[in-house]
Amino acid sequence: MSDELGRRAQTWSLRQLLTCLVFIGLVGGWAVANRLVAPPIVSQTERRTLATMPDLSLSSVTSGTFMSGFEEFAADSFAGREPLRTLKAWTVLYPLAQLDKSGLYEGDSGVGRFERLNVASATKVATKIAVVASSLDGLNIYYSFVPDKSIYAGRYLPGFDPEAARDALASKLADYTFIDLTSVLGADSFYRTDLHWDQTSLDPVVQTIGAAMGVTTELPSDVATAGDFSGVYAGQLALPVTADQMAYHPLPSVVTAEYLNATTLAMQPGPVYDLEAFTGQDPYDLFLSGAQPIVRITNPNATTERELFLFRDSFGSSLAPLLSLDYAHVTCIDLRYISWSLVPDFVTFPPGSDVLFLYSSQILNSEAVLQVQVP
Amino acid sequence: MLFSSVTFIYYFLPGVLALYFAVLWLTRGRQQPGSRAVNAVLLVASFVFYAWGEPKYALLMAAEILFVWAVGLAQVKARKTRINGANSESASNIEKLLLIATVVIPLAILGYFKYADFFIDSFNAVAGTELPILRLALPIGISFYTFQMVSYSIDLYTGKVEEAGRNLIDFACYVVLFVALIAGPIVRYSEIAAQLIRRDHSIGGFADGVSRFAVGLAKKVLIANLCGELVAILKDSPDESVLATWLYVVAFALQIYFDFSGYSDMAIGLGAMFGFHLPENFNYPYIATSITDFWRRWHMTLSSWFRDYVYIPLGGSFVGAPRQIRNIAVVWAATGFWHGAAWQFIGWGLFFALFLSIEKFAFGGALQRLSGPVGHIYLLLAVGISWVLFDAASFGDAGRTLGHLVGAGSSGLVGDESLYYLRSYAVMLLIGVIGATPLPARLVHAIGERDWGIKLLTVAQHLGIVLLLLLATAFLVDGSFNPFIYFRF
Repeated sequence: MSDELGRRAQTWSLRQLLTCLVFIGLVGGWAVANRLVAPPIVSQTERRTLATMPDLSLSSVTSGTFMSGFEEFAADSFAGREPLRTLKAWTVLYPLAQLDKSGLYEGDSGVGRFERLNVASATKVATKIAVVASSLDGLNIYYSFVPDKSIYAGRYLPGFDPEAARDALASKLADYTFIDLTSVLGADSFYRTDLHWDQTSLDPVVQTIGAAMGVTTELPSDVATAGDFSGVYAGQLALPVTADQMAYHPLPSVVTAEYLNATTLAMQPGPVYDLEAFTGQDPYDLFLSGAQPIVRITNPNATTERELFLFRDSFGSSLAPLLSLDYAHVTCIDLRYISWSLVPDFVTFPPGSDVLFLYSSQILNSEAVLQVQVP
Repeated sequence: MLFSSVTFIYYFLPGVLALYFAVLWLTRGRQQPGSRAVNAVLLVASFVFYAWGEPKYALLMAAEILFVWAVGLAQVKARKTRINGANSESASNIEKLLLIATVVIPLAILGYFKYADFFIDSFNAVAGTELPILRLALPIGISFYTFQMVSYSIDLYTGKVEEAGRNLIDFACYVVLFVALIAGPIVRYSEIAAQLIRRDHSIGGFADGVSRFAVGLAKKVLIANLCGELVAILKDSPDESVLATWLYVVAFALQIYFDFSGYSDMAIGLGAMFGFHLPENFNYPYIATSITDFWRRWHMTLSSWFRDYVYIPLGGSFVGAPRQIRNIAVVWAATGFWHGAAWQFIGWGLFFALFLSIEKFAFGGALQRLSGPVGHIYLLLAVGISWVLFDAASFGDAGRTLGHLVGAGSSGLVGDESLYYLRSYAVMLLIGVIGATPLPARLVHAIGERDWGIKLLTVAQHLGIVLLLLLATAFLVDGSFNPFIYFRF
C-alpha cells in the first residue's frame, strides 16, 4: 500500500493546490481548446490530409473503427500540434543529442532521412522490371537507380547501401545495361530540404546516361526560378530550416507535352513545367505535373530522331525534360499509376528505341507500388 | 485505451474527472450513497474505457463479474450456515464447490482465450496432427482482472475477506476500475474494500496523484518509447556485433522497466486522484543484489499473488528442500506462463526458479557476504539474460542472441551501426540508467531538507509537471511508436 500517499492525502498545502490548478489548467485547458479550435484539414508541413472525426454508428463502434479513427483524429486535430512537433524534434536532437529523429537527420548537406535498403523488395522490383523488359523485343534496355541522398551526407548513417541495391537489381537484370549514377551524384545534386534531386544539378547525370545510350546532351545554361521550396524533409523534421530555391532549365517553346487523361483515356496537351502545380501541396509537381501515368514529351528540334521510354518515378519527372533535348520523343511511364497490362493500349514501342528504367531508393524499398503482375 | 494517448489524457480523463467530482459534490454529506454514486460513475467510465479497445469482450467481462459476485454471496451464505452449525458438512461442501467454480471458470476463460492456441500448437507438434489454430483475440487485461477475481474468491473462502461485496456496483468497480484494469497493479479486494465504501478525497491526495501520473507518463512516453525505438532498430539491424547485442539488452531492460513501472505510476497516480490508495508495484528492481531481492522489487503485486495463492498453498517454505524446489519451479513456471503463451516464457520463469533455488539452498549466504557491486553485477547479468529469453521469438532465437553477447556467431566486436546508435542514444540511456535508481528521489529529498529547498522544489515541481506533460503531449501528437509491452498480458 502506498503509505506515503495515504498519509499525505490527509493534509494539503498551497503548493498542492497549485499542483492541482496547474494540472487542471493544462489538461482541462487543452481539452477545451481541442473542442473550440477548428482543426486544419491538411498539414502543409507533412504534406498529408489530416484525420477527420470518424462517423459514429453502431457498426463503427462494434467493429472498433470509430475508436481507432478517433485516436488518429485526436492526435491530428490537437490544438497547437505544429509547435508541439517542433518541441519534440528539438528535444530529441538537442537535449537528448540523438543523431537523428526516426531516421531524419540534419547536417551540412541539409535535412535527410535514411532508410535501410529492403533487399527483398529491391529484388522484387528487379523481377518486375525484368517482366516488362522481356516483353519489349528489339528495344535497347537500360536500368539504373537513384541512391538515397543520405549516402552523400559526409558522415556514417545506417541507411541505404548502393552496392546491395546494384546487386539486387543485377540479380534479375543481367541481360540489360546498368548505368551507374551513384558515382556522379553528390550532396549538391539534391535539395537541402527534400528527397529529390535538383534539376539544375543534373548535368553529370544527363551526360552519364547520354554516354551510355549514345547521345550527346548539352544542357542549356539558362535557369529559371519557380520560387522558394521547403521540401518534405523540412516539414517532417518540424524544425526551422532555410528553404531551397526550386529552379529549372527552361526548354525551347517547341517542346510540348501530352498527358494521358485518366477519365477520357485520351492524350491531351499540358505543360512540361507546371507553375500552377508548384503552388500546390507538393511543389515538385512543377515537373510534368507530378503524379501522371503516361506523359509524352515531343521535341521537333531534338538532336536525334530517336525515341526514349522512361519507366520512372518523380525523379524521372525532372530528368525527362532534359533528355528531351536529344530525343524527339520521351514517353514517361509511371507504373505506380497505371498497370503494365494497360500500357500497350496507350503506348507503342517501336523497335530500336531506348528504354530506361530509373527508380529511386524509395521505390526499391516498396515494390508493391509498381503495378506489374509477376507470373 | 492507453493512458499514454491523447484520447485518454485530453478527452477521457477530463470528462471522467469532471463528472466524478460533480457527482461527488452533488452527493456530499451522504457518505455511503455518495460513494456508490461516484462508484457508478467510475464503473460506467471503466466500461467505456475497456470497450474502447475491446467492445465485444466488455460483455464477457461483465458476465464474469456478475458470476463471481453472485457466487461470492452464496459462498458467504454457506459459510454462515457452516459456522452456525446447521448442516455444517453440507455447507462446507457447498463452499468448496462454489470456490472451485469461481476459481476454475474465470481461469478456464483465461486459458481458452490466452492459451488455447498454445496447447493446440504443442499438441500438433507432439502428435503430428494438424488441428486448426483458433487465432483468438486476447481480451485486454484478462490476465489482470482474472487474477483479481480469483484472489477475491479465495480470500472469501479463507476468511481474509469476511463479507462479500454486497453491492454489485462496488464489486464491479473493484474488478474493472479503469486505473488498474489493463496492467495492474493487481489489487486484492481486502486492500480496497473499505475504500470502495468510503474514501477520502483531498487536494493533497489529488496533487500527489497528479505528480505521480506526470512522472509515470514521462517514464512511459519519453524513456520507454525511445528505448523501444532503439530495440526495434537493433532487432531489425544487420549489425550483429557484440556491441549491438549488449546495446539491445540494455535498451530492452530499460524499455520494459520504464514501460511497466511508468504504467503502474500512472495507475497509482490516477487512483490517488479518485481517492484510492493502490499498492506499489515497483521498487527500483535494478538496484537489487540478488534474484530474490529483484522479485521483491519487480511487479510486486504479481509476485505476492503467486506467493499467497500458489506457493504457500503448495507448502511454501515449510516443507523439505526437494518439495520447496518443486514449489518454486511450479510457481515460476506459472509466472512465466502468465506472461505469455509460449514455451520460452515458461523457460523464462524456470530460469528464475533455478536462480532462486540456488540462492535459497546454495549460494544465498555467499551472495549476502559478497560486497554490493558483485551482487549487483550478478543480478544485472542474470536479469539481462532473462530479458533475452523473454523477448525472443523462440529458444533458438534466444540462443543466437545470447551467443552474440559473448561473440559466438556475432559479426565482430563492434559495427558501424551499433557505434552510431550508441552515440545517438547515449544521453537517453544515461537518463534511463540514472532514472532506474533511487538517485533522483534521493536528490529531491536532500534538496527538500535545506531551508531554501522547499521553495526550489515548489517551483521545480510545477515547472516539471508542466514540462513533462508538454513533452509527453508533443511526443504523442507526433509519434506513431507507442507500444505497451504488458498490454498483451
